[in-house]
Amino acid sequence: MEMRAYIIRRLLLLFIVLFGVSILVFGILSLFSPEQRASVFITDVKQLRDIQGIIKKYGLDAPIQVQYYNWMKALFRGDLGWSKTAQRPALEALFHFLPNTLELALFSAPLIVLVGIWLGSVSAVHQDKVIDHTTRTLAIIGWSLPTFWFGLMLLMIFYGYFRGFLPPETLSMKASLYVKSAEFARYTRINTIDALLNGQLWIFLDALRHLILPVITLTVVQCALVMRIMRSSMLEVLGRGYITTARAKGADENRVVKKHARRNALIPVITVSGWLVASLVHGVVITETIFSRKGLGWWWARAAIQLDIPAVLCAVLFNGVLFVVTNLVVDLLYVYIDPRVRLR
Amino acid sequence: MKTLKSKLASWDELKKSLKPRVEELKFSLHRIKRSPLSLVGLSLILLFAAVAILAPQLAPPKHPYEPYNIPRYGYSAEPRPPSAEHIFGTTEGQYDVYYGVIWGTRTAFRIGFMVVGATFLIGLVLGSIAGYYGGLFDEVIMRVVDIFMSIPTLILAMALVTALGHSLDNVMKALIIVGWPIYARLIRGDILRVREEDYVSAARAVGCSSPLIIIKHVLPNSIYPMVIMASLDVGAVVLVAAALSFLGLGAPVGYADWGQMVSFARNWIVGPPQSPLAYWHTITIPGLFMLFFVLGWNLLGDAFRDILDPRLRRR
Amino acid sequence: MVPKLLEAENLTMNFYTYEGVVQALDRINLNVREGEILGLVGETGCGKSVTALSILRLIRPPGRIEEGKVNFRLKNRFAASKRDINLLDQDEAFMQKVRGNEISMIFQEPSEALNPVYSVGDQISEAFLLHRKEELCQVVLKRIEQDIKKDGFFLTRAILKMERGIYLKMMEKPRSSSLKFLSCIPGVRRYRRRLLEEAKRRSIEMLRILGIPHPEGVVMRYPHELSGGMQQRVVIAMALACNPTLLIADEPTSNLDVTIQAQILDLVRKLKKEFGSSILFITHDLGVVAEMCEKVVVMYAGHIAEVAPVHSLFKKPLHPYTQGLLKSVPRPGRKDRLQSIKGSVPNLISPPSGCRFHPRCPRVMHKCSDAKPALRETEKNRFVACYLYHKERDKDDA
Repeated sequence: MEMRAYIIRRLLLLFIVLFGVSILVFGILSLFSPEQRASVFITDVKQLRDIQGIIKKYGLDAPIQVQYYNWMKALFRGDLGWSKTAQRPALEALFHFLPNTLELALFSAPLIVLVGIWLGSVSAVHQDKVIDHTTRTLAIIGWSLPTFWFGLMLLMIFYGYFRGFLPPETLSMKASLYVKSAEFARYTRINTIDALLNGQLWIFLDALRHLILPVITLTVVQCALVMRIMRSSMLEVLGRGYITTARAKGADENRVVKKHARRNALIPVITVSGWLVASLVHGVVITETIFSRKGLGWWWARAAIQLDIPAVLCAVLFNGVLFVVTNLVVDLLYVYIDPRVRLR
Repeated sequence: MKTLKSKLASWDELKKSLKPRVEELKFSLHRIKRSPLSLVGLSLILLFAAVAILAPQLAPPKHPYEPYNIPRYGYSAEPRPPSAEHIFGTTEGQYDVYYGVIWGTRTAFRIGFMVVGATFLIGLVLGSIAGYYGGLFDEVIMRVVDIFMSIPTLILAMALVTALGHSLDNVMKALIIVGWPIYARLIRGDILRVREEDYVSAARAVGCSSPLIIIKHVLPNSIYPMVIMASLDVGAVVLVAAALSFLGLGAPVGYADWGQMVSFARNWIVGPPQSPLAYWHTITIPGLFMLFFVLGWNLLGDAFRDILDPRLRRR
Repeated sequence: MVPKLLEAENLTMNFYTYEGVVQALDRINLNVREGEILGLVGETGCGKSVTALSILRLIRPPGRIEEGKVNFRLKNRFAASKRDINLLDQDEAFMQKVRGNEISMIFQEPSEALNPVYSVGDQISEAFLLHRKEELCQVVLKRIEQDIKKDGFFLTRAILKMERGIYLKMMEKPRSSSLKFLSCIPGVRRYRRRLLEEAKRRSIEMLRILGIPHPEGVVMRYPHELSGGMQQRVVIAMALACNPTLLIADEPTSNLDVTIQAQILDLVRKLKKEFGSSILFITHDLGVVAEMCEKVVVMYAGHIAEVAPVHSLFKKPLHPYTQGLLKSVPRPGRKDRLQSIKGSVPNLISPPSGCRFHPRCPRVMHKCSDAKPALRETEKNRFVACYLYHKERDKDDA
């Protein structure tokens, strides 16, 4: 009951933030000159002569409120414009590219969270010993790595030097032909899952092989962040009174760390989840570009280069929604883990 | 005679009053000495600073008015490995890698300092207004902060650069527009927290005026997290700018920028079958420069956090 | 003569910090007899808490116990070859069986001592689960047997028989790895339900004993939902759950209101009678000492100054420090000015030589700075560490 009202309240907040994001997006849109915006609608060079006509036709010289209103109307209709890089309507392109990105995220996120938390915990418990120094050094190097450089280096070594051992792109030629054929039923359009559902193990393994390098690239940098936060949080928790009490009760160190310390230490880690998701988006854009995985990040990067305005705006909008949803999940996680947080 | 004695007395008093500060300073230095990582960070930064300052000596520019244009030694596409004349080899289009990374250091410092400096100041001012005056200022500024912080930096920067045009200056402008909210939020949060602290109430109780409270009591406590954030941010900003240049949204082709140089290397990841690592220098060298630059700032930021934060100083 | 339960001999403890080595405890001697409430009094920083932590070996780096012995008489709750042991000689596994079981400790700040993410019941149950697992298993097994007899349906009987098997295994080998493995599987984990329920039942009983109204409801609450007094009662419940021989109370009422303080002290006295534990009561409040304790140990800067029965101490304090302390305590009806002890507490990195109180002592003699005066018995049951009372030493100068 409280939970329901809470969720409803948060969803309302979603709309408010989306409204704000839409204003931001529109603000960016209005930075473009009317000619640039008209060029979006041009499919033929001849039309360039009549650019003023196009401007008038799409109301690009109307006062800003009117433009905003029209734009919002189109938005609600699901019309975000035509993305020339995707050769289809922007909204449709979003759903077209989503599965590949989802696949990458699906394999990376658990790794990042679990490995980061585990390393941070171990590092804190064995503070100032060899393992602590090692993980901290690795973490800070990982955090300083330029993602694109790291990915390219990995490619150079594992694709170049080891002769195609771990290749870029999503599937090998043979597998992708099979996947596009009629025999392969696409349920989720995520290659690994579909392969399993179709019972085609070799495609699953093939997709996995193509995933290894991108996942490593993505994971290393984010893992470093999680590990650092977890470590400092764990150190702080281990100095608290209830830890001494637990020891005084006769709990062994293992139990003290796992049962008493960890849950409390996770709270600040959850706080940075918002940042983590943003960092992940960064990583996705770059990783997909480098490894030529045709996902959302790849699309947006090309859109920015080719001045594909609807796609770029779509990116901003999508991320706004993602942010709000992430915050909602984070808040619910808080309630689950920390009983001091009440649903007001 | 008397005045000399009294002068000595007051000098002694001054020394006594400064003693705790001197002790703390000595402790800070001790912490720095004991922490090898912070020394490494500091040395890296100093090394890069030396390279940047000495760039004209280390890599004399071909065109004195356009030092950031990397000189080309030919037009063939295939990069050539390190040799006597080109210490780090050449990259695609025969741009000299050595020249590029040296002057790229200057670019990196420029980007880092200008962006972080601007975002720091803007954030400080807006955040202070929001925190101190509260009310409508606070609401409006914080909503703007929320909206900006709901989009990842890279995406927003990409959108802005698309709108403004592809150039390094626009990349910097975009990063400034995108980067100030975090400082504003930091300082506002700290001002709100410090406002409620007992020592502020105590200061007010002895008749301290509001602006004086802010300067003497609030800012010295709140500035530390911002300074730490700033030093970590320099690295992050350089990384994002490099990523944008790598994608082709920032520095133009042939400009001395590390990210731009790595984008050259994209086509030359894999060499011919007999020596697949033939073009390693095109990507490894600019990348290492980036890595160590950012590493240095991250180490420094970490060291600042461990050393400056009064709560973490004495473990 | 009532036998000694706990005896610390020459206990020395240091902290290794940047500024130097803090000599926190210097060859202290104290003992607690069975059934008595011993008060440990001293100013903040004199080493009272550190003494308690040293007894339980809860000192962590940069602290280190340098030398000494802590002899303790076990009540033979768990398989130990001897009854009288030196706690400082035992390994960590043994100490874990002692803590919370033979010797329990309660702390000053109850809101800090309780883990905010677990319910109060969970935390009290933990004490039972750590030390009374066998007993719990026996009770659970009896219940399972009853259930098996009642149940007719073969499937549920089979499940019950499996549960019985698990609990039998738990009784003989509580830390077995196969049990650990089973407790990780989500569906199978349910077998722990019975154990936890029994532990919860006992926790509720503990809360009732501690005078908490409506314990069935309180047991599900989280620490932040309770008042300070209730929190402290929970902490005491956790400590007394396994009926310890010795309870160490480290300033348990210092952070509570005076009225609550009185309640808690009454409670502790009542519980001591019921549970029969001895108590080492650490405090800086002389009033509490006067009310609670039978014997008092006065500590100063890592040294023991004086040991005496409570009435004698207050009536006729011997050590100059104790005298100074009592003179500085306000008492209703006193019309004279409060006298403070001149000087301030020494820095233990470079403590005063010999008797650590000598720089502030109004009756200091030359020899006081030479060597630490030993704790000697002057009258019956009274010990003082002061050269003023060492009659063997003659020819001392004023």
